[in-house]
Amino acid sequence: MRLVTRPHPTPGPDRPPTRLRPVADPPVLEVRGLRAERGGRVVVDGVDLRVDAGSVTALVGDSGSGKTSLLRCIVGLDAVAAGDVLYEGARIGSLDPCELRRRVALVAQSPVMLPGDVRANLLYAQPGADAPAALASVGLDTALLEREAEELSGGERARVAIARALAHEPRVVLLDEPTASLHAEAVAEVEGLVGSLASGGIAVVVVTHDRAQARRLADSELRLERGRAVPAQ
Amino acid sequence: MTGVLVAIGLVVVAIVLSRVLALGLERELAVTAIRAIVQLTVVGLLVTAVFEHLGLAAGFVALMFGAAAFTSSRRLREIPRPIVAAGGAIALGAATGLIPLFASGAFEVTPRELIPIGGIRGAMAATSLTGRRLLDDVQGGVPLIETRLALGAPVQVALRPLVRRAVRGGLIPVLDQTKNVGLVTLPGTFVGLVLGGADPAEAARVQLTVLLALLGVELVAAVTCALLVARACESPGQRLALTGRVDMA
Repeated sequence: MRLVTRPHPTPGPDRPPTRLRPVADPPVLEVRGLRAERGGRVVVDGVDLRVDAGSVTALVGDSGSGKTSLLRCIVGLDAVAAGDVLYEGARIGSLDPCELRRRVALVAQSPVMLPGDVRANLLYAQPGADAPAALASVGLDTALLEREAEELSGGERARVAIARALAHEPRVVLLDEPTASLHAEAVAEVEGLVGSLASGGIAVVVVTHDRAQARRLADSELRLERGRAVPAQ
Repeated sequence: MTGVLVAIGLVVVAIVLSRVLALGLERELAVTAIRAIVQLTVVGLLVTAVFEHLGLAAGFVALMFGAAAFTSSRRLREIPRPIVAAGGAIALGAATGLIPLFASGAFEVTPRELIPIGGIRGAMAATSLTGRRLLDDVQGGVPLIETRLALGAPVQVALRPLVRRAVRGGLIPVLDQTKNVGLVTLPGTFVGLVLGGADPAEAARVQLTVLLALLGVELVAAVTCALLVARACESPGQRLALTGRVDMA
């Protein structure tokens, strides 16, 4: 059982300050003793993680610490050598991989835009989706719909990638360094978007190098070093 | 004999050019030329006997098929059992041309017609080009492919645009050759027949039949190869094989 701080009740004179409290609800996503290897090298080693609906979890660590590998294992893009990943209590091996990726959306670092305009990107996963609404939901102007996706700025690409990932209404969103190489204004916009997703009941896992950002955004933090979970500093 | 010596001289020029331009093709050019000389010399010696017996002709076609499958499979080394993918594509492609042409009586089932009409060369070229192009595109396009996978697409759907592009690329030589026949090139069958004393109009009819049939042969070979290679790029669990991803985070 993990201790979390969400929801955040506002402290007041007749209410004690926020305290860690036990959560009894089953997690939407759980990782148990996960081990992954790449080219004979262990990249994730015995990691546990519990993610609840509406929470934000920061995954922090240096380059090569296994953060991206952990996210890839969760959505089944990389094979798991040992341990389990459970989505809504079911082992991911028992689920249709494509359906799992619709429920647990991964947004890669430096997201790749699909060929074509922004509308084509937004409709790739769900051709019948409301593209203007999807774009508006991430705070972008609908005039961007006809723009070639490759021409977008870094901040616009990050938000279009998130909007694209939301097409299937996932319960979990995994963001791999969503603000890397963005300017301060775009960072604030993406961080605001993370908060909105969590407020909407989506569980968000954010990979970041930035400890201050982790503190700003997250309810809980998992720190990785050389593939192993270590106590958060 | 003078012509052969001049042609060998041109190969030497090509090797020197490759060296000067640092193309790294010297060894392949030399091996290719030597193979061609040895193979055609042996064929020249055997062909008389082969043309006399249908059984020998069938064996010769089987040998051609094996050599073609081996050659194409060397372009597809990254996938498991490349000989199966290459052989399957070439066999299906060649059968597409052979069966209608011989079944309809357009050509007679005689050794003299079976060997040159086999269509194996065209099928081999399309297989090598298409398979190699697809493997290069998959290896160079992992982030884009995995973006599609992360959005819930199955591997074969994520690879579909690459499969289409590879097939189109694999057909460029036969399309260009067919478009420009008689304008830029005089194809081998036509030249051979005319040099052998055939009526040019009859030679053109035979060449046209072969060229048009090759469009179907090469398309079937290219599509078959692309689908088999795409299948080989898929790991269980809707994962991409042959990724070679560098983990930076």
